[in-house]
Amino acid sequence: MSIVRTVFRNPPLLTFLLVALVWIVASLTLRGFGAYGHLRYLLELAAVIGIAAAGQTLVILMGGIDLSVGAVITVTAILVPLISPAWDPTGLAGVGLALLIAVGIGLLNGAGATYLRVPPIIMTLAMATFLQGLLVIVAGGSAVTVQNPAVILLGQARPLGVPAGVLLWIVVSAVVLLLIHRMPIGARFLALGANPLAARLSGVSITRNTLVLYALSGFFAGLAGILLLGMNRQGYVGIGDPYLLTSIAAVVLGGTSILGGRGTYAGTIPGAILLVTTTALITVVNASPGWRSIMFGTLILALLLISGREARR
Amino acid sequence: MKDAKPLLEARQVFKGFFGNPVLKGVDIALFPGRVHALLGENGAGKSTLINLLSGALQPDDGTIAVDGQPVERLSPASARAAGIAVVQQELSLAGELSIAENIGLGAYPRRFGLIDYQALHKGVRQVCDMVGLTEPLAMPVASLALGRRQMVEIAKAMFRKPRVLILDEPTSSLSAHEAGILAGLIATLRDRGVGLLYISHRLNEVQALCSHVTVLKDGVVTADQSLAEIDGKGLVRLMVGRETGELFPPRPPACPGAIRISVEGFSAGLVRDAGFTARVGEIVGIGGLVGQGQEDLLLGLYGAIPAKAARAEIDGKPGLPGRVTEANAAGIVYVPADRKHEGLVLPHSIASNIILPSLGRLARGAFRDRSAETGLIADLAKKLTIKGDVARPVQALSGGNQQKVALAKWLPLDPSVFLLNDPTRGVDIETKREIYLMLRNFASEGRLVILASSDTPELVNLCDRVVVLREGRIAAELTGHAITEEAIVGAAMGVTERVADKEAVQ
Amino acid sequence: MSASASNWLYGAVQHRRNRGLGGLYVVVAAFLVLYAALFPGILSIGGFSKFTQNWFPLALVTMAQALLMLNGGITLAIGPLVSLGAVIAATTMGGAFGVPGGLLAVSIAGIAIGAITGVVVAHLRLPAIIVTLAGSFIIGGAALILLPRPGGFVPDWLSNALAGHTPIAFVVLVVIVGHWKLFLATPLGLGIYAAGDNPLGAFRSGVPIERVKIVSFALSGLLAALAGLFVAAQTGSGDPVIGTPFTLNSIAAAVLGGVGFIGGKGTMRGAICGSLLLSVMINVMFFLGFPPVAQYVAQGLIIVGAVAVPELLAQWRAGR
Repeated sequence: MSIVRTVFRNPPLLTFLLVALVWIVASLTLRGFGAYGHLRYLLELAAVIGIAAAGQTLVILMGGIDLSVGAVITVTAILVPLISPAWDPTGLAGVGLALLIAVGIGLLNGAGATYLRVPPIIMTLAMATFLQGLLVIVAGGSAVTVQNPAVILLGQARPLGVPAGVLLWIVVSAVVLLLIHRMPIGARFLALGANPLAARLSGVSITRNTLVLYALSGFFAGLAGILLLGMNRQGYVGIGDPYLLTSIAAVVLGGTSILGGRGTYAGTIPGAILLVTTTALITVVNASPGWRSIMFGTLILALLLISGREARR
Repeated sequence: MKDAKPLLEARQVFKGFFGNPVLKGVDIALFPGRVHALLGENGAGKSTLINLLSGALQPDDGTIAVDGQPVERLSPASARAAGIAVVQQELSLAGELSIAENIGLGAYPRRFGLIDYQALHKGVRQVCDMVGLTEPLAMPVASLALGRRQMVEIAKAMFRKPRVLILDEPTSSLSAHEAGILAGLIATLRDRGVGLLYISHRLNEVQALCSHVTVLKDGVVTADQSLAEIDGKGLVRLMVGRETGELFPPRPPACPGAIRISVEGFSAGLVRDAGFTARVGEIVGIGGLVGQGQEDLLLGLYGAIPAKAARAEIDGKPGLPGRVTEANAAGIVYVPADRKHEGLVLPHSIASNIILPSLGRLARGAFRDRSAETGLIADLAKKLTIKGDVARPVQALSGGNQQKVALAKWLPLDPSVFLLNDPTRGVDIETKREIYLMLRNFASEGRLVILASSDTPELVNLCDRVVVLREGRIAAELTGHAITEEAIVGAAMGVTERVADKEAVQ
Repeated sequence: MSASASNWLYGAVQHRRNRGLGGLYVVVAAFLVLYAALFPGILSIGGFSKFTQNWFPLALVTMAQALLMLNGGITLAIGPLVSLGAVIAATTMGGAFGVPGGLLAVSIAGIAIGAITGVVVAHLRLPAIIVTLAGSFIIGGAALILLPRPGGFVPDWLSNALAGHTPIAFVVLVVIVGHWKLFLATPLGLGIYAAGDNPLGAFRSGVPIERVKIVSFALSGLLAALAGLFVAAQTGSGDPVIGTPFTLNSIAAAVLGGVGFIGGKGTMRGAICGSLLLSVMINVMFFLGFPPVAQYVAQGLIIVGAVAVPELLAQWRAGR
């Protein structure tokens, strides 16, 4: 009984157990689901969501929300092929430049949220709308194929049979978990998310932390965009759109409060895997796109009832 | 009247929050035509009892009875239907709605399902005349001053034609004139047979208006008797359980040190053109009626709101801190009055609250030094006698212990200036004493303590010097023996301003 | 005497609600004048009809969004609801009960979906933003099942009536706004503002805040679904994804109109003005030959500007 209670009080663990349960049941009942190649494929898909949701987790922990994640993913996925200079055989210059742009977009979000006092939901929404238009103007609306060797390596290489994307996700997870739980800035994010006024009066700078936060969110979204480009080999307008909602859903499924101040990336990791698994299972059921969408929404709602309820205020 | 049934009563009610019992078996009965006083220190459980009587909360145990009949799950709506109206301390007004719409809220007269603005206007006009509200009824409440909003709140309660009226500290933000109107209103209602419950910290008010008293201390009734049988001193003894004199540490002889803060023409928020100096080793009090700029003065010095001054010097360096981080770097720290919203991150643990300002200082490289943090927290918890597991959320602590955490978190910074806003509000007596002693020790260690307080005895007995604010300006500066309750209240009300000035020793 | 006094109170309250909207009115008027100067066609009945028809669905979804924002919530399910409304209209109007049956079906669906969302938010205590996010998948899925690809049937006379050369759409909008005003004059309607502004205070005053929340979600759903019906009439068919842009636009228009995120701040009339402003701007950009994508860029800038400028002005004033 007490074990059950502990699990229910620990959303990351709960989500993780849920993933394990679903995987075991699905492997036993569905042919091919439990194959190493399939599970590896699921993790690869989850890596993109997980990396995009890394920034989103931080933002939501601090009480904000980043609705420009999808647009930033699209921006990097389209810009990397366009801006990778021909003289650079490694392709790292293009990647670095694209990440720099992603960070710049994040900084702009942060600047709007602090200096202009625009609520983050509006600021990032406007940014997404803005980027959407800008992209079509820049890229002309057609898909671009990536030649950048670094990006292709990231998307296709499998050192020791593990996809490079999954390795990248492991690195990102380690960094984000360290940042939240072992670095001063993580504690400041959490304090700001739970009570911005008290945090400010305790000497936590809202301006600086907000700027850093949205820059980080931009960086991780950009990284997800590059990984996605590598896996897809093509960038096009709208490629990042599905990742906006999934990044938020992964965070909330992991037990992080949408109101800020409570949660951890350790929950987002199984949250992302759970989302991908759910989607895969819904695909297996062989339902129409409409039913798939309904099942997806209902499942998220049902999972929310387990882990996402807010305390009465 | 002896045979009259109580209109509203609580029988052996219990209520707790986060595992802390607040009411432990409380009885109270309100009779028609009687003004009943409810006294008790902050944190004694008065507000919780009011919330139970008005249906805003449900008791954990015990019953609420209306007209002698126990009521299952009294809700605000059913309480209203039973004729129970409350004037809350925290205003229940919606700022964007007009005065009339606020007064009628939850009790609108209707015609064909619509709000009958004609009847609303008539009824609202009537109650507004009773409480002396002359503002246009269509005016949004947000554009009224705090005192006027309080009058709207009173009018709102009157509009419900109550049989029972509960007033929770109704005069704390009222002018003397408005308080006079309210006193007249209370007498009228009493003569009409309304049962009244009056909560106030001002004993003279209570003695003038009320005939019966219930005293709460730490969630238990310590007295339920006629007011005629007891004097002010006796009431205080019942409330605090001891003489007030022992509360305060002895005041050492004045030995003014070096000037630490000196400002002229200081303006911030409500504060206009204030000038004062504060020295090392002093406890400087800031007094005045509620909302005269006390908080803005502290926040301005702390860099938390925009402030400017014709001349400002802190520790010999010119200029005011532009932001909180600068103030902290200069050794200035602030403990806000509203612990729950401004002082603490309630859902987080005691440990993370204590460590928050020291995070950067304790870090080794980019990472937090867990062992140093744990050591520091254990040290502070011991020093301030914060008992129990520091991993508990701070909201599980009592008011007094929460305040200790809010203070403790600053100690590792070794601050030279403490700015405190009403640090003993809602704090139990024992913790109060500890806090007073701590503040006195800070001063004797060569720090400066600036303390804004709504509790006049605190200013009189603890402070070396008191600055009284009135409408954002310094109305008086009192030192030594000139610090008396009369002088502070007089200056705050603007009646004996000149006398107070004369008495002030430079 | 007392009758005039009551009119005075109601009128004065209404008048006071314009407080702080003067700037918005001026901007809207200026844009309308600019628009009329650029495209005098708007002054003809046909031009006016077309103009208001473009505005109509945006006005409805903005009301649907503002209703919830005023109550302290938000919905991300506006777009799918519009799509669902359009799809239901296009699949039921050819049925036995014709247009009235379709109207009824759309209305019931909107109210029911809204009310269910409201119940989940109010009683299960889940945050509105997440519930409506998940709900948007469910609603969008339902639209896809009803009508997997654009099609269905909308009678020509209905299309001609609502989206033809007569300003019927405008008249309908006026009627809807009139009903909103009527609703706002009920205790429940005013409760939306009160509960958004000070939930605890409203609860203590006896306002049934949970019922208020459910009703506001239901009305919001109704408005969004009706916008869908109109869009179906406009295009002559149902399209299961046609509503998508409305989610963002509804938030943008409400914010342009001064509706705040914390609840209770702002007014419905402001939100409607905001939708008119956004609609005019989209039209102007369209007629000036801006590519549709440049409209996105401009829209993003406008939204940020609409929030930032008043904030900066207030800061500047406070700093003086």
